[in-house]
Amino acid sequence: MSASPDVLWEIAWRFASLSLLAIGGINALLPEIHRVAVDMEGWMTSAEFADLFALAQLAPGPNAMVISLLGWKVAGIAGAFVATIAACGPSSLLCFFAMRGLERMRNGKTRAVLQRALAPVAIGLILASGYTLARAADRSPGALLLTVAATAAIAFTRVNPVWILAAAAAAGVAGVA
Amino acid sequence: MTRADPPTGSRGEISRRELFASFLKIGLLGFGGVMPLARRVLVDERRLLTDREFAEMIGMCQVLPGPNVVNLSVILGARWQGPVGSLLALTGILFVPVIAVLVLATFYASIAHAPVARSAIGAASAAAAGLILGTAFRLLTGARPPMRGLLLGVAVFVAVGVLQAPLLWVLAVAVPLGVALEWWASR
Repeated sequence: MSASPDVLWEIAWRFASLSLLAIGGINALLPEIHRVAVDMEGWMTSAEFADLFALAQLAPGPNAMVISLLGWKVAGIAGAFVATIAACGPSSLLCFFAMRGLERMRNGKTRAVLQRALAPVAIGLILASGYTLARAADRSPGALLLTVAATAAIAFTRVNPVWILAAAAAAGVAGVA
Repeated sequence: MTRADPPTGSRGEISRRELFASFLKIGLLGFGGVMPLARRVLVDERRLLTDREFAEMIGMCQVLPGPNVVNLSVILGARWQGPVGSLLALTGILFVPVIAVLVLATFYASIAHAPVARSAIGAASAAAAGLILGTAFRLLTGARPPMRGLLLGVAVFVAVGVLQAPLLWVLAVAVPLGVALEWWASR
């Protein structure tokens, strides 16, 4: 897993070009990242993509950690940092320079309109991410059951997601999926 | 670069050390979603923001692309300590957790081929898909978008999730359309 500069550049521009499209955060980007990393670049299989996403959920830190893991998979430790900086850099810079303008329209109509317009787009994207992951993960009946159970647990209870994943992993070892 | 006015109901000047320590704590202890922990650390424990300010910040982050909590770090870091503050907050919330994730990844790589680990990880990844689906459900019931928003959301889901259309094109249509619909509805 030695990282050639070419691969690092590829990672950098792929993730940087997605950074400003992350409406609804990293969890809204997963179908696009899957399309690029699995279908276009062939960096990993669909199942590996799903594994790395699950692994990122088991680690501390923001959702963006999945980007670090994908970068790591492609090009080791350097890949992890390049991917993280590329995915968060452009959006962070935009945020830094746009925040004063946004603060000025704190109670303004413009921001309310923008917020109401972007919310359904973000929800649609996050739903698409869940769908992409469900298709990428194992597709046995047991796995499907775990997906449904986890969906219900998040939707209707306040249990920490880490425990849901731990319970699923235990069920997997016990032979459910 | 001058700093924005200190937020009301909180300490005026927050030291770089405290800024970094706060975001480091959020980054390293935030298992399963960092936003609830961010609220607890910034509002309840350290009283750097009021509840209302925190909610406003989140609203602001939601109209910007990028991970909400990363944007929150940029904004609060800049507000309290300028550009250096943003970098400190980002380091705490992003780059230190990356190291933790890499330790986990190395462990994963060493066990990934064992059959037991395979079953565990496969099952966890099936459940992880459910985490996102459940989150989408919660966001949907929380936002309660009107019919026009609902249709837009479904269209985005179908285009990106089912048809696997490139995100840029979908957003180039959906965002202006959404803004136009809401702007027209708010007149």
